[in-house]
Amino acid sequence: MSCHKENKLVAIVDDDDSVRGTLQELLRSAGFSSRAFESAEAFLGSGRQQETACLITDIRMPGMSGLELQARLNAERCRIPTVFITAHGDEEMRLQALRAGAVEFLSKPFDDEVLIECVRTAFER
Amino acid sequence: MNRPETMNRGAGSARSIAQRYGLAFVSVATALGLASVFGHFHTPQTFGAFALSAIAVTFWYAGTKPGILAALLSSVVRDFLFDSQTSTESRLLFDLVFLVFALLMTQVVRGRNELQLRVAQRTAELTQSNDQLKREIAERNQAEYLTGQVFECSPDTILIIGADYRYKRVNPVHARNWGRPAGSMVGMHVAELVGVEFFELKLRPFLDRCFAGENVRFGDWFDNALGHRFVAATYSPLRSGSQRVEAALVIARDITEYTLASEALRHAQSDLAHVSRMTTMGELTASLAHEVNQPITAAVNGASTCVRWLTREDPDVGEAREAALGVIRNAKRAADIINRIRSMSKKDESKRQLIAIDEVIQEIITLLRNEAHRYSISILTDLDEDLPKVVADPVQVQQVIMNLIMNSIDAMKDVDRARKLVIRSRKAEDLRLMISVTDTGVGLPSQETNQIFDAFFTTKSHGLGMGLRISRSIVESHGGRLWAADNSPHGASFSFTLPIPVEAPE
Repeated sequence: MSCHKENKLVAIVDDDDSVRGTLQELLRSAGFSSRAFESAEAFLGSGRQQETACLITDIRMPGMSGLELQARLNAERCRIPTVFITAHGDEEMRLQALRAGAVEFLSKPFDDEVLIECVRTAFER
Repeated sequence: MNRPETMNRGAGSARSIAQRYGLAFVSVATALGLASVFGHFHTPQTFGAFALSAIAVTFWYAGTKPGILAALLSSVVRDFLFDSQTSTESRLLFDLVFLVFALLMTQVVRGRNELQLRVAQRTAELTQSNDQLKREIAERNQAEYLTGQVFECSPDTILIIGADYRYKRVNPVHARNWGRPAGSMVGMHVAELVGVEFFELKLRPFLDRCFAGENVRFGDWFDNALGHRFVAATYSPLRSGSQRVEAALVIARDITEYTLASEALRHAQSDLAHVSRMTTMGELTASLAHEVNQPITAAVNGASTCVRWLTREDPDVGEAREAALGVIRNAKRAADIINRIRSMSKKDESKRQLIAIDEVIQEIITLLRNEAHRYSISILTDLDEDLPKVVADPVQVQQVIMNLIMNSIDAMKDVDRARKLVIRSRKAEDLRLMISVTDTGVGLPSQETNQIFDAFFTTKSHGLGMGLRISRSIVESHGGRLWAADNSPHGASFSFTLPIPVEAPE
């Protein structure tokens, strides 16, 4: 299965309600529409991968982690530009993510300009 | 009891039959002898007079049958000796006199015997009641002696305080405690000894309850001649006869050393619990930081959003306001989490209060959620929402639950199957709540299960090995129980109970 980047949707995967919600609001203020998922499994099960132009995901979550999600999407030849946001990312994790094709690896809390710039870049691909 | 027949022989019971019947012969012979010496031998009247005496003596001393024998003998002797001199009428007259006299004496002896019997019975009764009286007096003396000994020799203070709050009786311990002779305290008002303020505040309420008929127990600090002492006292109402309480029996024991030791122990336990809590919090630093970081991230997102709405070419104040409200909400959430962490780290002893156990569980889950996620463990709750509140120290109960959850997380870190932690709350039997933490981890060590509650027992590479030990002592100090069981098919289950207050206030 491969992805077709026809639609301009940002997908957010984070297990924390408030982080998810405020991220959607932030993107809305920058003019992006987004969909939020509370887990990697929920995102995979939604069937919205094809419409997703950019994925913003947390790393540590109950169940499948953000890195595992990225690996799974890569295995399915669905290479969505991905931005990782994490509260405790170490250098090793960062390198692993970037090697697997991540657009950016941000520590929480992050600078909104940097994030939005990443999303823009993803959309321009 | 003595029967009349036995008593009938009473007069001569000691004598043999031979002696008794012999008396009849001897007395009649004596009468004959006396008649021959003092009277004219040939006059039967003289002998008759002595013979009557002989019959009387025999009846009196030897009884009825020997008496009748004496009468017969007298008659025979008289007939034999005086036969030639007297007429048949005279003989019959003598025989009649002897017969009547014998009958008369029979009645006399019977009357005498009955009298003796009654006297003996009455004497026996009097002896008996006299003995009983002596016994009662001896018993009472013994009881009074023992009561006196209790007062004099007791190591505890024993007092009797009248309804007028004056000492009626004071034992030597009390006298020593206050450094004055016991005699000088009798009749004294209690307030005079302990001070008016102390009496009114600390003693009078208990005394009044006692005078109203209640058995009262309490403990308090007193300042007496020995210094600052902790005394445990009981006040018992004394009613001598009437229903009204006339006095209070006070028994008081100085348990200062015991109280100080148990306070020191409580402090030590509290310090140890604090150390253990801090160790756990230390292990959780990364997770706790993450828990605080989430709302801060959300707040920063909100603030960025707010600025974006305001700095657009066409500013949208409404959207900016919504975003700013979100900032406030998330900043407060961050502060709440920090406060929760701070209360767990506090050293000062928190007080027992009415707490809803479900809220305590939820708060702990908030703090530990991230730690569980770190090891891909899902925390499930199965909480009974209608549980009554319990009286407990919230920090200590949190510590127990936190400890059990941390143990479960440790037990599941390296297992390959589904890592599931279930926290349940239930109403158990006997007015208790039961909280259990069940996992799918490695299970209990195969050794003695109870050993896991021993101090310094640990299967972990980190930790003090004190967690379960402290948890158990916390639960037990709340009147509950903590135990472990294997969970089928995998893992372990730790449960503890807490008593529900009898009159659970809402």
